[in-house]
Amino acid sequence: METVLIAFILMTLSGILLGCIIGAAAKFFFVKSDPRIEDVNEMLPGANCGGCGKAGCSDLARAIVAGECVPGSCPVCSLAVVGRIAAYLGVDAGSSVKKAAVVFCGGSNSKARKSVNYNGINDCISASLIAGGPKDCRFGCMGLASCARVCPFNAIEVIDGLACVHSDICTGCGKCIESCPRKLIRLVPETAPFHVYCNSPEKGVEKKKNCDVACIACRKCLKAAGEDQMKIEGFLAQVNYDNMPGADVIEKAACPTSCISSPENHFPGTLKKENAAR
Amino acid sequence: MSNLHHDDHIYFAGGVHPEEGKYLSESKAIQEAPLLDSYTVILNQHIGAPPKLIVKKGDAVKKGQLLAEAGGFVSAPVHSPTSGTVRNIEDCPGPMGVPLLAVVIDSDGKDEWGSSLEPIADWENTSPDDLKKRISDAGLVGMGGAAFPTHVKLSPPPEKKIDHLIFNGAECEPYLTADHRLMLEYPESVVEGCAIIARVLGVKNIYIGIEANKPDAIKVLREKAASFGVNIIALRVRYPQGAEKQLIYAVTGRKVPAGGLPMDAGCVVQNIGTAVAVTEAVKEGKPLFERVTTVTGEPLANPGNWKFRIGTPVSKAIELAGGVKYSPAKVILGGPMMGFAQKNLQVPVMKNTSGILLLSKEQLVQYESYPCIRCGRCVDACPMNIIPGPLSTMIESGEFELAEKNNLMHCIECGSCAYVCPSFRPLVQHFRRGKAEINARKRKMKK
Amino acid sequence: MQEYLELTIGAILVYNFVLSKFLGICPFLGVSKSLDTALGMSGAVIFVMTLASFVTSAIFNTILHGPVQIFGREFELSYLQLIIFIVVIAALVQLVEIILQKLSPALYSALGIYLPLITTNCAVLGVATINAGAARGIFKSTLYGFFAGVGFSLALVLFASIREKLKLADVPKVFQGMSIALITAGILAMAFLGFSGLC
Repeated sequence: METVLIAFILMTLSGILLGCIIGAAAKFFFVKSDPRIEDVNEMLPGANCGGCGKAGCSDLARAIVAGECVPGSCPVCSLAVVGRIAAYLGVDAGSSVKKAAVVFCGGSNSKARKSVNYNGINDCISASLIAGGPKDCRFGCMGLASCARVCPFNAIEVIDGLACVHSDICTGCGKCIESCPRKLIRLVPETAPFHVYCNSPEKGVEKKKNCDVACIACRKCLKAAGEDQMKIEGFLAQVNYDNMPGADVIEKAACPTSCISSPENHFPGTLKKENAAR
Repeated sequence: MSNLHHDDHIYFAGGVHPEEGKYLSESKAIQEAPLLDSYTVILNQHIGAPPKLIVKKGDAVKKGQLLAEAGGFVSAPVHSPTSGTVRNIEDCPGPMGVPLLAVVIDSDGKDEWGSSLEPIADWENTSPDDLKKRISDAGLVGMGGAAFPTHVKLSPPPEKKIDHLIFNGAECEPYLTADHRLMLEYPESVVEGCAIIARVLGVKNIYIGIEANKPDAIKVLREKAASFGVNIIALRVRYPQGAEKQLIYAVTGRKVPAGGLPMDAGCVVQNIGTAVAVTEAVKEGKPLFERVTTVTGEPLANPGNWKFRIGTPVSKAIELAGGVKYSPAKVILGGPMMGFAQKNLQVPVMKNTSGILLLSKEQLVQYESYPCIRCGRCVDACPMNIIPGPLSTMIESGEFELAEKNNLMHCIECGSCAYVCPSFRPLVQHFRRGKAEINARKRKMKK
Repeated sequence: MQEYLELTIGAILVYNFVLSKFLGICPFLGVSKSLDTALGMSGAVIFVMTLASFVTSAIFNTILHGPVQIFGREFELSYLQLIIFIVVIAALVQLVEIILQKLSPALYSALGIYLPLITTNCAVLGVATINAGAARGIFKSTLYGFFAGVGFSLALVLFASIREKLKLADVPKVFQGMSIALITAGILAMAFLGFSGLC
């Protein structure tokens, strides 16, 4: 009994003593830091993907607390999380439209023409340095999966020589954008009903030589959707993502090259989702 | 080939000796290509600023007339290859796969001379600056392949003392024989061009380096060279003997410092083709609108050396050379080691097109590439003494900074490493990718 | 003199904390992805281990070792050794962190992020209990703590260097990441077995 008592008393005493020392030191050597940074960091996803442009989640937490960024700058967080951070800090949530990456090309192996054999490194940037890549179209997807390899969420899959984004897995972190030498991938609102899957600014005749599904700038979609919901730049129709047209435009426009398609119907062949699972 | 006499005492480490294939065309005299209906003259044929267009659609032009003037100091003008009208100014396929702006000229068949450059007969008493201006006005660029404007090389900054002028007649690339034929058929123009450039630079030590597998050219040039004080050096037959740094080492024993230019070793290196073009530009007032190009390869009916006007489409050039016996598997602009495979044969001949090479299906065995087995053959073969194998794995795994630390940027892309690799690794492609990435990052840093 | 030499060689090579005693595996695997962080961690570990050895052996030699007089009665307290060491080391590292943050922000930014990792590290606790078990004096304990830290650093730096090379290797997919790291660590430990019998 005595031993237990002694041990108990001794440990309590040393605990109190050390606690006092640390407490005193913490007071004496106090360095000011904001506890809110820690809390916001806890709420962020912690994937450190860099999609916000900051050096990881803790840096973004610091920036959000300092007011340099809005909570919506994190492209990965769900709306609920953004809302919680905004409520915690009492600030405006900022832009909170969930964005997903889209590869603006429909030229799969069966649709786009290839006049040469490419026998080199399986990497888009390397291929683009040799005679502008294997496909005849200089603007389309080369299908060598550089974007799929950098995607931290395995949301990109190359099907029949064309990179396709699974928008339900895509978090919109934007890492793939940098990896594409053709600048084919852009972040657009996930809710967009359809996209114009072409990126070539060439004339329709030239494009048609290289690809079956190129946008030939016939303006049918513009007539169906209206000038303010779609626009033509160069020889390329584009959806106005600030004022999106409805899904019925796909039917109404009856795109002669089937270049316009909803994301669900865009995948050539079947959607092999198990391949893209994490 | 080792029994050939060579008189260089020092000699770069590494290199390879691929099958030469020069027998196809080395005995064929240079032929003048007949006039075509139209020519596609690319504007930006050189390294540096793009030239400024001075003609427009529908303009009548004459042979040798200026189409575009130099767009800066590091730039070169472009001249019309024949007389006719400007049909259009449009994008045409370029040799690197990127379309380039070009002037399309419809020939009128008269081929009328219209150069504004006056011949300078007495160049020995013309001031170096006037000669340099002439070289610049004639649109001369390095005709070996790099297409660097010649007058820029002839304007070294005053603190760099140039005491050696070296002409590259090595022609170490397999299959190519254009320079060989030039030396055989125009030896006077070659040595005179050497002397003119030497006068511009004020250099007394003039050398022409020729690989020992061209004994006839060495003999002919030795006879002509003495009167101009030009020395002919027979070089060992080893690829890449004609690379700038390797040539300087073989001739002078000097090493160009890492990351430096030949002028840092007191040397200026020019191609034989450039020397001939200089002679023509000075003595005849002829701007650079045609060049000698080797059209060769097994699939060709009649391989040979042709004088093509700049702007001749490659498909036409092949037709002129007798067409093909069977369809080639690959068409390369330049030599097999450093040339560029083409996917569109509408690419025109440019100022730096030294050869058009057609490869047959049998020659083009496409091996699967395997992981590096660390045999070290590439290290032995590398003429720049870097470590190609490990560098390629660094680039493969995205360690670009590490690759740069291990001297990736010194690679001259000669292809010796890929030639000897038993795992068939596409080493040079890796290096190009790595260099592109590092340069892109540097540009980003500057911003 | 020979005694000290044996202590040194033993702590660094023969009874290496990571590769022979398998203590401190967590930071060994966690902070060895690049050489830079491994060097920072090494510095922090050497620092903390030396300090902890000194303090714990001081406590051990004054209080825990042998009978202690409390209220005129004698008590044997060595059974409290482990729990006391845990509390003392945790408090010590906390204290060092707080003081460093204030007094030397430069050193803090270099070592600071590693300090919380070491707070509850078994290697640090291990060096204290080993010292107590061998009943070493304060000077010898501190020396042993320092060289145990050096041994840890050696293993960490070696491993980090290997892992940097490993990044260039074409590792089969199933072995990628931590599996190949563990296999490498195992082979490295086997290599260190070669030192056994040295002292």
